[in-house]
Amino acid sequence: MNSKLKKYYPLLPVCVAYLILFLVGRNVTGIWQLVSTLLFYCALGQAFNIFLGMTGYVDFGYVAFLGVGTYGMATAVTGLAGYEGLGVGVIVIGFALAVIMATLLSMAVGAVALRLRGAYFAIATIGVNEGFRYLIEGANLWNGSSGMIFTAELNQILGRDLAGRVMTFWADILVLIIGVAAAVVTLLYMNSKIGYALTALREDEDAAKVMGIHVTKFKIIAFITSASFAGMVGAASWALKTPYVFPPEVFEIHYTIEAIIIVMLGGAGTLMGPLVGALIYGVSKYYLSIFLPGFQLFIFALVIIVIIVLFPEGVVGVLKGKTRNNRLKQLIL
Amino acid sequence: MIFEQLMGNIVQGLILGAVYGMATMGLSLIFGVLKVVNVGHGAFIMVGAFITLFFFNTLGLNPLLAIPVAFAVGLAIGLLFYHTAIKRLLNAPELATLLATFSAGVLLEESIKLIFGSEFRGYNWDIGNIDLGFTALPVSKLYACLGSVLIALLLYIWFNRTRAGTAMRSVVEDSEGARVCGVNVQGAYAMSFAIGIGLTVASGVLLTMFIPVGINPYMGGGYTLKAFVIAVLGGLASPYGAFFGGLVFGFIENTSYTLFALLPGVEPFALTRFLSFMILLIILLIRPTGIIKAK
Repeated sequence: MNSKLKKYYPLLPVCVAYLILFLVGRNVTGIWQLVSTLLFYCALGQAFNIFLGMTGYVDFGYVAFLGVGTYGMATAVTGLAGYEGLGVGVIVIGFALAVIMATLLSMAVGAVALRLRGAYFAIATIGVNEGFRYLIEGANLWNGSSGMIFTAELNQILGRDLAGRVMTFWADILVLIIGVAAAVVTLLYMNSKIGYALTALREDEDAAKVMGIHVTKFKIIAFITSASFAGMVGAASWALKTPYVFPPEVFEIHYTIEAIIIVMLGGAGTLMGPLVGALIYGVSKYYLSIFLPGFQLFIFALVIIVIIVLFPEGVVGVLKGKTRNNRLKQLIL
Repeated sequence: MIFEQLMGNIVQGLILGAVYGMATMGLSLIFGVLKVVNVGHGAFIMVGAFITLFFFNTLGLNPLLAIPVAFAVGLAIGLLFYHTAIKRLLNAPELATLLATFSAGVLLEESIKLIFGSEFRGYNWDIGNIDLGFTALPVSKLYACLGSVLIALLLYIWFNRTRAGTAMRSVVEDSEGARVCGVNVQGAYAMSFAIGIGLTVASGVLLTMFIPVGINPYMGGGYTLKAFVIAVLGGLASPYGAFFGGLVFGFIENTSYTLFALLPGVEPFALTRFLSFMILLIILLIRPTGIIKAK
């Protein structure tokens, strides 16, 4: 019993961190904006980590899943605005649609890309966001390049008061829940056959194959899980928080860059890493934008190169090494 | 009428394709020798474009003179980047070099943005047209095409007729064996990385002849994607394959744009870019080792 519970100890620091974040945001005036950005980065990193961290494959088109998630929510809200009495149900349908669309896209991409190794995989994914953006613009899907604005529909469905609360508060809470859920799923995977298989394939894919591990199956599981969380993040943080969607914005590679920075900074493949990375990245980006506006990405690009060359295991990876022999060990994963 | 338009497309496409091909040779060279994919490829092209801009707008010089300078700048950036980062990552998991080259691209984009700002710029080098009857060909584009072919030939000669080039080929074939025979393998790695980056930056100069007002710190992303399509067409590891891949791709791009423009209710520019991405996926699906067999 006790040892079974012990497996879940590493969730404790994660939950404490989220709780502190929430309490600070609620009680310090004027800081909710920053907290909401941090929550977005936490969820983004946690979702990205499920794939990048656990498999060691880099998906450069990751933002496409956030983009289609945003479109999923937008479709539900605009399509169901005419039906009376659905209320919050529309949001639930929107999330379902976001997950379904992100899953479908990840299956389509994965079918090609996951059969390929390392370098070829990266090449196959690097254009996914651009490709999907140009498909929407070129074929005039979902209004093409003019995008969708659905503030009026959201007001109509939820009523003006609730819609306002959703945009300023509940969307962020949903992002928080998604972030925690992604962390729980990460831990569940780590403690199960999936996690062991992924670790084996990350360390040596050929050896894992020889040992009888169905590597493609486990890569697909991680890829789809990671993508559907991204779809939810997009639906909550982009579609609900700011009820409009324009193709160039939601397929912007900038967000993939941020996800990479967050995961590598915190420690790829660790449970706490994305959270730590997101907090460091979010807070320092915030202050850099005040003191050195325009220099944020320049500095972080340098930081990433330094991290990759000097300590590729990230902050949490280093901490893990330091706590190997003491009682904190079981808390850090 | 449609025949003339198509003929025009073939010629324009092949001319652009030669430049595309040359712009991808650096990528293939680096992958072929070091097995490193330069994910920041487009950013290096962008640096070349800005060097051209500086030559033409600030110094008032002929843009073609920027080619050797861009090549030298590329060599310097390549050597610096190789010795600070890539060298230490060659034995690390693939993830490391992918993220490092990606970050290097971001770093270049941000540096150029901080120096020049992020608005779109351009220059106008008007030195007349050649009228072929069915299409008018700007002389500047013709120079760009000839420049690409010349550079590709020089690379070929350097690879096959010089000691350093032969040493590099031996490293590609069998790095252990080359080491035993006294080839400086580390040196060959550094040199091919630097030359690859040099070629890429130099190709940025040639590409500006096709984009009159499209120069911006973030212009590289589209070229990274195109370069991957081209490189994969040519088999990824072969610079000459890349050159022919470029010809094929330039032709496809130009023709499909014209054909998409005939369809009602679509944006041909966006669909063309979607098509290039689909070509990439299809080739990777059916033959990741490349369609064109080049030695």
